[in-house]
Amino acid sequence: MKTSMSEQEKQEEVLTPETKTANQPVTRENTHDLVIDVDNVSFGYVPGKDVLRDITMNINRGEVTAFIGPSGCGKSTLLRCFNRMNDLIPTAGISKGEIRILGTDIHAPEVDVIELRKHVGMVFQKYNPFPKSIYENVAFGLRIQGINGKQALDQAVEESLRYAGLWEEVKDRLNASGLGLSGGQQQRLCIARAIAVRPKIVLMDEPCSALDPISTAIIEELITKLRSEFTIVIVTHNMQQAARVSDRTAFFYLGNLIEMDRTTTMFSNPSKKQTEDYISGRFG
Amino acid sequence: MSETPTSADSFSGRDAFKRRGFRILGIGLQDVIRYFFGGNASLAIVLIILICFFLGREGIMFFPAHHEGLGSYRQAGQEFVDYMGEEIDAHTKFYSAANIAYFAEVNESSAIEDAQIATARAVLANVETITRKSWNLLERKIEEEVGLAKKVAGLAEGSPEIPEVQQMLETRRSEIEKLRVTLRAEVEAALESPDAWSTGGSDRGVGLTNIEKIREAVLFEAFPKAKEEHPFLLELKAASKTKKADTAARLIAFKTTLTEIQSAVKPLRTLHGELRKHATENRAVINSFKSAPQRRAALLAGAENVDDPAEKAKLQAEADEVVITEPDLVAMNAPLYAAVSKYAEVSLPLKAEMERLLQALPSTVSTESARENLDRSRSAYGSFKGVQKANRDRIPSWRHDLPVSWIKSFSAFLFGKQWITNSSWHDFYGLLPLLTGSLMISVIALIVAVPFSIAAAIYVNQLAPRREQEIVKPAIEFIGAIPSVVLGFFGILVLGEMLREVSQVEWLSWVPGFPMAERLTILNAGLLLAFMAVPTIFTLTEDALENVPSAFAENSFAMGASRLQTVFRVVLPTAASGLIAAVLLGFGRIIGETMVVLLVAGNKIKIPDFSEGFGVVTQPTHTMTGIIAQELGEVDGGSLHWRALFIVGMVLFVIALLVNYAAQQALKRFQKV
Ligand SMILES: Nc1ncnc2c1ncn2[C@@H]1O[C@H](COP(=O)(O)OP(=O)(O)O)[C@@H](O)[C@H]1O
Ligand SMILES: [Mg+2]
Repeated sequence: MKTSMSEQEKQEEVLTPETKTANQPVTRENTHDLVIDVDNVSFGYVPGKDVLRDITMNINRGEVTAFIGPSGCGKSTLLRCFNRMNDLIPTAGISKGEIRILGTDIHAPEVDVIELRKHVGMVFQKYNPFPKSIYENVAFGLRIQGINGKQALDQAVEESLRYAGLWEEVKDRLNASGLGLSGGQQQRLCIARAIAVRPKIVLMDEPCSALDPISTAIIEELITKLRSEFTIVIVTHNMQQAARVSDRTAFFYLGNLIEMDRTTTMFSNPSKKQTEDYISGRFG
Repeated sequence: MSETPTSADSFSGRDAFKRRGFRILGIGLQDVIRYFFGGNASLAIVLIILICFFLGREGIMFFPAHHEGLGSYRQAGQEFVDYMGEEIDAHTKFYSAANIAYFAEVNESSAIEDAQIATARAVLANVETITRKSWNLLERKIEEEVGLAKKVAGLAEGSPEIPEVQQMLETRRSEIEKLRVTLRAEVEAALESPDAWSTGGSDRGVGLTNIEKIREAVLFEAFPKAKEEHPFLLELKAASKTKKADTAARLIAFKTTLTEIQSAVKPLRTLHGELRKHATENRAVINSFKSAPQRRAALLAGAENVDDPAEKAKLQAEADEVVITEPDLVAMNAPLYAAVSKYAEVSLPLKAEMERLLQALPSTVSTESARENLDRSRSAYGSFKGVQKANRDRIPSWRHDLPVSWIKSFSAFLFGKQWITNSSWHDFYGLLPLLTGSLMISVIALIVAVPFSIAAAIYVNQLAPRREQEIVKPAIEFIGAIPSVVLGFFGILVLGEMLREVSQVEWLSWVPGFPMAERLTILNAGLLLAFMAVPTIFTLTEDALENVPSAFAENSFAMGASRLQTVFRVVLPTAASGLIAAVLLGFGRIIGETMVVLLVAGNKIKIPDFSEGFGVVTQPTHTMTGIIAQELGEVDGGSLHWRALFIVGMVLFVIALLVNYAAQQALKRFQKV
């Protein structure tokens, strides 16, 4: 699972063979640290009605970034912009600005959204394994990339399940349906599925909100473990969770990014009044 | 429920919680609505139970009656006679295949000449069709000319009309001359057009050189509408004749063998014929004895109801005359028992003779068709030998008074290979011809409908833009609203003819069963039923796809799967049991369909001949639903035939029940996902 730096670079090149040179303003330094670079972005589900306004933020490599904010403020929306899941909604789109991932504008015409999603994995709020075996769930991403060799799959499945802390629990029943697991196990299976293709970034949209406290704790632990390997963006409703797992936190309110800072700073000493009110539970 | 707010102190549970609204006998409106819907649901169940009950009651009574019929069949010795009949039939199969081989060989020798003659005839017919109008005109003019000429001859010399009529006659003649010229040009032009040369059949052996000759011959015959044939055709005919004669001479040994094969079975045929006559009489006596009590009772009942004493006495006398003495079965069957030794005398030489003749059949033939038929003939010989062997055991040991087992009453229905009714010999009620017919048609229909419907459902549900969905879905669902009798008409008038024409296209002749002789076939019915099943399978599949939670697709997309990958790897597998249910219910729809199969399947009650391979679908057949619709109106209520139709209905009912049950199991699994 150890991926050396040079290998990472190679994969970046796979993602953006030509655009890298085209996008010269992004310095080499930038591409190292800024994994996601949101530049003055506005977004609307229907034209003319923006639900996100003028968002500018950076997400750094190897960090866990938490999005917090009251319900409906646009956290999920921004998250889904990163892997262009909003493309599935016909009228939705970015009305302004640019999102660069690993230095490339993800809306550039030469970017293939399918390739993008292979590098930007996602874990949803409602855990949702496919009605297939545990093994096939994890192998899914590899199979659709045309990797069918038994050895390669076996290895990737085991590694991913180990990573997701699920291996010991399921290794004897890899061929049982993924739907037979408990809720927390299913969510970890979904995480294993997402990381099996070794994405650069893992987006998590309230991954614990449907789980019991014990499963939540397990997943939080898992997130801290994953940070060494993946850049993680997590949306959460739970302030403690943000405080526990994230390096940096962004606070949204009514479609605006109010404040983004190191989590410790943010929670101990927020610079904006709204942030302070929200964190201290005065609204939301 | 809107209530006037009550102040806290005047609040009383008794008033606040009281039931409100209209009530009769303690039943409120809510209850009435509930009972209404509950009643409808239970009515459906009650109806199903009633249908089961009546179908069951009428159908189950088939078996005792069938059992009795089989008893009479044995008592009359018909069973015994049919053993021999089977042997003769098997022999006939053997003979006719060999005979076909012989004629294939003979006809092949003059095939080229015959093809040329046929082509010339076809072209001639085409040319005549194309130039029909001018021909008719010319003929009319000639008629008129003849009439006018007669008139001139009939008129008195010096009559003032003569010059006038003469004038008309002249005009006609010149018109005729002109018409002749144009007609000749037309015939020549027609000969150039491809229409004239579309002869439909095979143009084998009509080389380019011959085309010129054929054209000449056609022109010769078409143009002055000659009574005699063109020498070229006459030549061809003569050549064909001599070639056939030559081949026949060469194959004289073959022909002799065939004749000998046929005459070898003559003694058995004669014996069988005699016995058959005898058994028919036996059966008449038995039937008459069995129905005697009823007839007598009917006459007596008639006598009761008549007032006129003379009439009463007459009916009474008739009733007394009804014979109810039991027939002497032993005496009646004596000739059959006597025939056992005769059979042995006939059968042994037949066996030896046939063995010799089988060897005498030519081992090498020149044409493919002859070879095929000789092979068929040899395999038919195998079954002939089988029947002979069986007969050597069962004919001597046959007993008219052995009771028929009950199992036989069931098995003769379920596995019986013949459905023969209104026969003067014996009625056979075997399900297999109808069951295979129904199943064959259903299989064809499913093979066609399933891929089409599922593909359409996938397209509409997963791939098509919304606008297209809104057009395609109702269009496909509309198919379900077409009355099946209309489709049946379409099958007879359009599809049947179309299929036959397509099957005659030469470069398709490699397709098994092509060219097809019939219009009303398994294939035709299967295609129409496929069309009828499409809405069912499509709608249910589409529902199943629609019910796959969108989260599965979303997850798949988020994994970087393309739309097609998502459809085939996630959505379809998730909906699989829903798809199975859709196919099963489509099958239920097909197997129960009546009108189309009645009109289009050809209604020939015979197990299809599977030796043709896939070509079997070009044969006509009959179905379980079709036979009920066709025969139920014509049979007497309560008769064995009537009950047989009921039991066929029950089989259909059971199939429908099983299919539905399986579909529901599949759906249950689907809903667990
Ligand atoms: N598919 C959609 N179509 C239209 N509007 C949407 C859709 N999804 C979310 N919205 C709207 O966008 C805004 C932001 O929603 P969301 O990003 O889900 O908020 P959060 O995740 O922060 O609770 C809300 O006002 C919501 O109503
Ligand atoms: Mg959300």
